Amino acid sequence: MSDTFSFLLMAWLDPGLLSLTALGVLAGIYIGAIPGLSVTMAVSILISFTFSWDINNALALMVGIYVGGVYGGSRTAILLNIPGAPSAVVTAFDGYPLAQRGEAGRAIGLSTVMSVIGGFIGVAVLAGTAPYLSDLALQFAPRDYFLIAIMGLLLVSTLSGKSLARGIFSVALGSTIGLVGMDMVTAQPRLTMGSMELLGGIHYVVVMIGLFGVAEAFYQLHNMAKVPVKQNVDKIIPPLNMVLKFLPLSIRTSIIGVVVGALPGTGGDIASLFAYDHAKRTVKNPSSPFGEGAYEGLVAPETANNAAVGGAYVPMLTLGMPGDAVTAVIIGALVIHGLNPGPMLMIETPHIFWFTVGNLALANIFLLIFGMTGIKVFSKVVEIPKAILIPLILVLCVVGTYSINSNMMEVYWMLGFGILGYWLKVYGFQMGPIILGVILGPLLDETYRQAMSSVGDSSSDFLLALVANPLSLALTTVITLVLLGNTPLKGWIMARFARN
Amino acid sequence: MSKQFERVQAGEKAFDWLLLLFSIGVLIEAFRIDGEIRLNSAGSFPVGLALVMLASSVAILFSHRRKRRDPRIRSARHEAEVFLHEHFQPHIVIFSVVAVLYLAAIVWASFYVSTFVFLAALFIYFRQGKFISSLIITSAAIAVIYGLFTMVFRVYLP
Repeated sequence: MSDTFSFLLMAWLDPGLLSLTALGVLAGIYIGAIPGLSVTMAVSILISFTFSWDINNALALMVGIYVGGVYGGSRTAILLNIPGAPSAVVTAFDGYPLAQRGEAGRAIGLSTVMSVIGGFIGVAVLAGTAPYLSDLALQFAPRDYFLIAIMGLLLVSTLSGKSLARGIFSVALGSTIGLVGMDMVTAQPRLTMGSMELLGGIHYVVVMIGLFGVAEAFYQLHNMAKVPVKQNVDKIIPPLNMVLKFLPLSIRTSIIGVVVGALPGTGGDIASLFAYDHAKRTVKNPSSPFGEGAYEGLVAPETANNAAVGGAYVPMLTLGMPGDAVTAVIIGALVIHGLNPGPMLMIETPHIFWFTVGNLALANIFLLIFGMTGIKVFSKVVEIPKAILIPLILVLCVVGTYSINSNMMEVYWMLGFGILGYWLKVYGFQMGPIILGVILGPLLDETYRQAMSSVGDSSSDFLLALVANPLSLALTTVITLVLLGNTPLKGWIMARFARN
Repeated sequence: MSKQFERVQAGEKAFDWLLLLFSIGVLIEAFRIDGEIRLNSAGSFPVGLALVMLASSVAILFSHRRKRRDPRIRSARHEAEVFLHEHFQPHIVIFSVVAVLYLAAIVWASFYVSTFVFLAALFIYFRQGKFISSLIITSAAIAVIYGLFTMVFRVYLP
């Protein structure tokens, strides 16, 4: 027990580890906030020059960047409607309308506090239930992953405004873009139109920067003369009664976040989506309608995506399976340092597990400190005249896209997606569902084919498996209910119940 | 989603028809992967997605029946005029042309030179001739980009 505590507090008591964690969080906030720079990219670059470091130092910096980056993505989502990371896509739904009302300071302050609450709940769950959750995840079959991905995409379709058809089209379009390139199983080219350059696929960051950065820049050209909304950043620290009011919701969405984050292959993006949908369905009287600046719509995704960080570590440290893209990179770092992520890690090197738990908690403390400071400087971004901001956004998009693979062709693709995104935006399509489709499309394809192979490519056996297994049945039921809940049938059933 | 989408905007129907045509194109391309319909192959999922896109684009076109025409639009020709007026204003066209020229120039003129010219040109145009201050802002922006991306993050620039 004393060993456990000493490992848990190692990062808190060692000045070097303390500094690296603080530096990581601060850097992560800005990396996550700058469109085009991603936490995954930063952690990948870090591996190249930290492999000679002590493992604890390397992990402390990476944990800091991870925690700071997940939070940092929400700042540009609130201030500019450009999510810095996929996990902040949902934050923009209500965060940006709040900034347009001049309440960016309060929105950022509340998102900081809620992120920290979510982060701590995630760490507590990681420490307390890691073995149990990993056991459950171990029992998931490919069809269950397929169903979870379907559920995520279905939810995002329902979130995209009034038109379900537009939402479904966006998701399918995004998934199709995600499938472009060489098939990983048969090496057949898919949807490449005979182009050799498309064989490697289209990186989702290219699509994301195009749709969110360039499309937004073009869209903003319509409002060049519009005076930027003066942001009220004096009231950054949210009042205690406001925090207490949203505490029950934040606890519920943190639990959603940590559970979804623990599912391998998912992450903060899906967790925030689930949490937002939960808030939309359970909060009867939001502060404003959802999508128009509801604080509940900000609290739910922000707690969930930070709680998902703790969740993502569960399968990584106990099963050796990445919870999301960042933990996939961190697995690489552990392997480089001679460690064996998976069940044996808990037995052979338990100090790594407890050190990570303590380090995550420390990173959340620093998140609260850095998140509550420097907002005034940060919020000045939205007060920059559009005549200056719009050309700069395009330059940032070019730098961000080129830095992925040093490929100018991807920069041209980014511009193409930006123009497509502009027209889609003009005609009422949302960008979030397209991006989530791009990310989840390949996962959906892979798990569908694995699930079909497991039943000998028999469609009847596949359908039978969906209802024969308790977990699959539960997921299928949820999907059916979500689908029916968005059709006129729901209104008809509700009317019948009301009459009776 | 505000009420603005309750009315058919200028060019919206044409755009939705283009989406339908695009969906058909994706379906043809997806079908070509295997050359036949299979339940478990490289082409099965893309075909499924293309069918979803096709069905939803048909549903989008059908949804126009519940929408009202923009009262400003009286004829097809007038719709074209409204469309051009909304989306092809001089500053939008100039930004688009300069952006394309900038991306084309990066390869042979180097990143920093082309970015300087791009930013300076647009700042001067958008800020209506504030020449000196535009050049100062451009220089400051280039310095920040250099410091942040080359010195701190050490990312490869074009």
